[in-house]
Amino acid sequence: MGLTSSILMSPFHLLLQQLANGFTIGAIYALIALGYTMVYGVIRLINFAHGEVFMVGAYLALTALLILGVAQPLTGVALVGVLTACIALAIGGCGMLGLGIERLAYRPLRPRPAESSGRSGQAPRLAALITAIGVSFFLQNAVMLLYGATDRRFPAFIPARRWEWGGTSLTLLQVVIWLTSGVLMVALQMLVMSTKLGKAMRATAQDPTACRLLGIPVDRIIALTFALGSGFAAVGGMLFGLYYNTVNFHDGYLTGLKAFTAAVLGGIGNIPGAMVGGLVLGILEALGAGYLSSQWKNVFAFVVLVGLLLFKPTGLLGERVADRA
Amino acid sequence: MFNTHSTFQIQQHAGICLLTVLLAGCGQQRSPVVKIGFVAPLTGDQASQGGSMRNGATLALEHAKAHGDILPGYRVELVELDDQHSPTQAVAAAKKLVADPDVVAVVGNLNSSCTMPASAIYHQARMLQITPVSSNPQISRQGFDTFYRTCATDDLQGPAAALFVVRELGAKRVFLLDDMTTYGRGLANEFEKKLRALGAQVLDHEGITQGDKDFTPLLTKIKALAPDLVYFAGMFPEGALLIKQRAEVGLGGRFMGGDGLFDPVLIELATPQAAEGVYLTTIGSDVHQTPTAKDFVQAYEARYGSIGAYSAYAYEATSIALWAIGRAGTKDRRAILAAMKTLKDYPGVFGVQNFDDKGDSLIRDIGLFTVNNGKFVFLKTASWD
Amino acid sequence: MSVIVALIFPLVHPHSYHIDVVTTAGIYVILALGLNVVVGFTGLLHLGYAAFFAIGAYAYGLLNLRLGWPFWVGLGPAAMAAGLSGVLLGIPALRVRGDYLAIVTLGFGEIVRIAVTNLEPWTGGPNGLLGIAHPVIQIPGVDRYDFGVESMPYYYLVLVVAVSVMMICVRMGRSRVGRAWAAIRDDELAASCCGIDTFQLKVLAQGVGAAIAGLAGAIFAAKQGTITPDSFDFILSVMILAMVVLGGLGSVLGVVVGALVLGTLPELLRGFEQYRMLVFGVIMILMMRWRPQGVFGHPPRLRA
Repeated sequence: MGLTSSILMSPFHLLLQQLANGFTIGAIYALIALGYTMVYGVIRLINFAHGEVFMVGAYLALTALLILGVAQPLTGVALVGVLTACIALAIGGCGMLGLGIERLAYRPLRPRPAESSGRSGQAPRLAALITAIGVSFFLQNAVMLLYGATDRRFPAFIPARRWEWGGTSLTLLQVVIWLTSGVLMVALQMLVMSTKLGKAMRATAQDPTACRLLGIPVDRIIALTFALGSGFAAVGGMLFGLYYNTVNFHDGYLTGLKAFTAAVLGGIGNIPGAMVGGLVLGILEALGAGYLSSQWKNVFAFVVLVGLLLFKPTGLLGERVADRA
Repeated sequence: MFNTHSTFQIQQHAGICLLTVLLAGCGQQRSPVVKIGFVAPLTGDQASQGGSMRNGATLALEHAKAHGDILPGYRVELVELDDQHSPTQAVAAAKKLVADPDVVAVVGNLNSSCTMPASAIYHQARMLQITPVSSNPQISRQGFDTFYRTCATDDLQGPAAALFVVRELGAKRVFLLDDMTTYGRGLANEFEKKLRALGAQVLDHEGITQGDKDFTPLLTKIKALAPDLVYFAGMFPEGALLIKQRAEVGLGGRFMGGDGLFDPVLIELATPQAAEGVYLTTIGSDVHQTPTAKDFVQAYEARYGSIGAYSAYAYEATSIALWAIGRAGTKDRRAILAAMKTLKDYPGVFGVQNFDDKGDSLIRDIGLFTVNNGKFVFLKTASWD
Repeated sequence: MSVIVALIFPLVHPHSYHIDVVTTAGIYVILALGLNVVVGFTGLLHLGYAAFFAIGAYAYGLLNLRLGWPFWVGLGPAAMAAGLSGVLLGIPALRVRGDYLAIVTLGFGEIVRIAVTNLEPWTGGPNGLLGIAHPVIQIPGVDRYDFGVESMPYYYLVLVVAVSVMMICVRMGRSRVGRAWAAIRDDELAASCCGIDTFQLKVLAQGVGAAIAGLAGAIFAAKQGTITPDSFDFILSVMILAMVVLGGLGSVLGVVVGALVLGTLPELLRGFEQYRMLVFGVIMILMMRWRPQGVFGHPPRLRA
């Protein structure tokens, strides 16, 4: 891949490229943010372990590639096949992981329907948070023990095709990321809005007690929400591995936090909000790093998060959480 | 209330007794032993370099033992500690080693940001410290007589790179990056000084954070400035990502770095295609082309496979430390330090080894490498003036 | 009785590395006591406590390196700097509740850490501050004792500070302010209806907690001689929180025990270094499942 000598870019093309950069990482944030937002919507829990699920997804995709012995870029049927296999293993594995976490760690802490539904102080809230953090530590360490503490190389099996237009460049990989996340997000929106299951999810998010009275299997819906969110995070993980070519057991923490910021940015509990939030955050980061300073890039995310929570906690599109008495 | 208080007392008392017994039990030894500490990143993203250094050190110990008793009546062991290129952990490791009376010398660390704070602790404990590859010049300027290093320093590496960039690559517009560590920032500053002195234009000098992954916005910004060359003073994990993303973003021109990039993992992570044509300097000559290193190369490759970037330096540092112990003839830290001062014309892997009064090696070769067909290729020894 | 044991411990067991381990646990005790004021007494979810620890450490470090202030002079200002930052950070942050507060504090913690990493001219960047002076006791004309890198003097220093902070916390818990904090913890709405200025008290809680952390930070900096930003990360915040929660929210004794156990656990588990975080995570999950009020806490009361 020969590199031509640098040509000076016009400010317009520079901006365009930064936007493309931001869009790409933003798409990944959006996929992860969906998991946070859906779970918070139904049980008002910040699933701290969600970032690790994303990381596990990346490692599962890596495992799939190692098993299949992929080392070179592929084309055509092989490409689609491998992509599908990776996604399948990642979603399958993480879906089960999400279910497991919900069942074993979080469900036992939820107040049983027989008990009062009024506020019971901060202790249960804190207990859930501590549990979530415990799960997060456990997963990080488990992956480190299984796969080693060094960065693992993620095989780049997307052909390295690049298009240039007046200095702005776009790679095939970026297009793949946009398309994959776009398709998934549209599918989710359709699921939530147009199917019976989706309606049940929205109802549970709004008022679980009423749902129970109506015979909706609330526990199962919650479990499904976890599984779905984890599946999305898994795809995000795979795309992340493809984009950066390395995976490390520590990747979940920071990316998870940023994705959570994105979820809050869009309005926690609001599914289109998570998508918008992810893209906006990615673009803000890219523009900040490109025009201001690269070192402070991570601070932007946190400043946005803190600023949002202080001044507009409902986010860009408004939050959707259950009303509590 | 009273009840809980006495229960608690008993609990605490028992706890402390148990703790004491446990901890005391840990301290038992059987036969007399003398230990050399070895501190490097053994886990984490730089583990491949730390690991290859450990191999070199282990090999040095074996070779020394094969030549007879190092210190009659004692077993000699290597104590490996992990610093994960974190200065805090390096300090903790240093304290641990210093508190162990069996440890008489230390080979460490890899990163200058770790070696620097650790050197103060070793100095206070009067314990010999030889760093294989920490190249920041400030470390030897602290006036610690316990500090030695078996590599060249960045006040040579930086200018050497600058000369190459201006005189042989003909670059006029250069963008500088560093990873804000002691090593990276120091090297980049040396490079910049010489570059300006030679009349080239420094477009800007920015920092990246270690552990960061996404450099596409930064590289896009650099692309808009159209530099002839981008110079990165930092380690290979970030270097690999920079090289790879630079290709994706379409940033043209050359890319050059320092010895921190010199690891085969760099080419693997960056992809051979993107890494093609990347230049870098090293803090010593090519070990494959040095006649005095032949035996080491053979032994290492037979045992461990391909040689890592820093294996030879770790081998050298450990061998010299062992020599000092043998020369002192006793387990006393100060005696070993005194013995080290008497070192003259040591037949080392890189040639005849001597140290100046600051502890810097008098072998001051700066190697120049490029990446060709997915491998590092030695070009020549660079000059710095 | 336990006080006597604590006092003579380093004399009967002069193994400097072990004394050092217990001293570090002691610093954790101070931190846990401080966080207990915020989380245990007042019920505020706080995930960014390490930031105040960092501010105290860097404050003393900078006062010492730039202005030459010795430890005993710099200790107070360091604690005050941390306390002040607690108040300043609290004013915007404590307007939000519950989970949001947790995330805001996490955000602040990370912002402080990254800012410290980036502000190289002031803070030394990722390489941190080197060569911070150790405490020196100078009796004019008689003797000069530099703590240096020995472990015993720090052990006693930490012991004295920890016990003092412990007593202050117990006193505070029983005072009017302490009762007001407890009221806020149990039911903020009801507390404000009783005429308590909840906002002011919450800010005060964070200020006090931050000052205690600052105290610990200065001691830490003086002991280490070198401080780097990576010592003050989110993991540390979580560890301190775990000590408070596992020991028993609000219970001063419980928190001390929690800190001692969790503070020495990493060293005891050194053989199982790799499994350390794993075990830690499992402990957290199991504890929350079976005893969410911690070892010394009160079981959660059911509400009508």
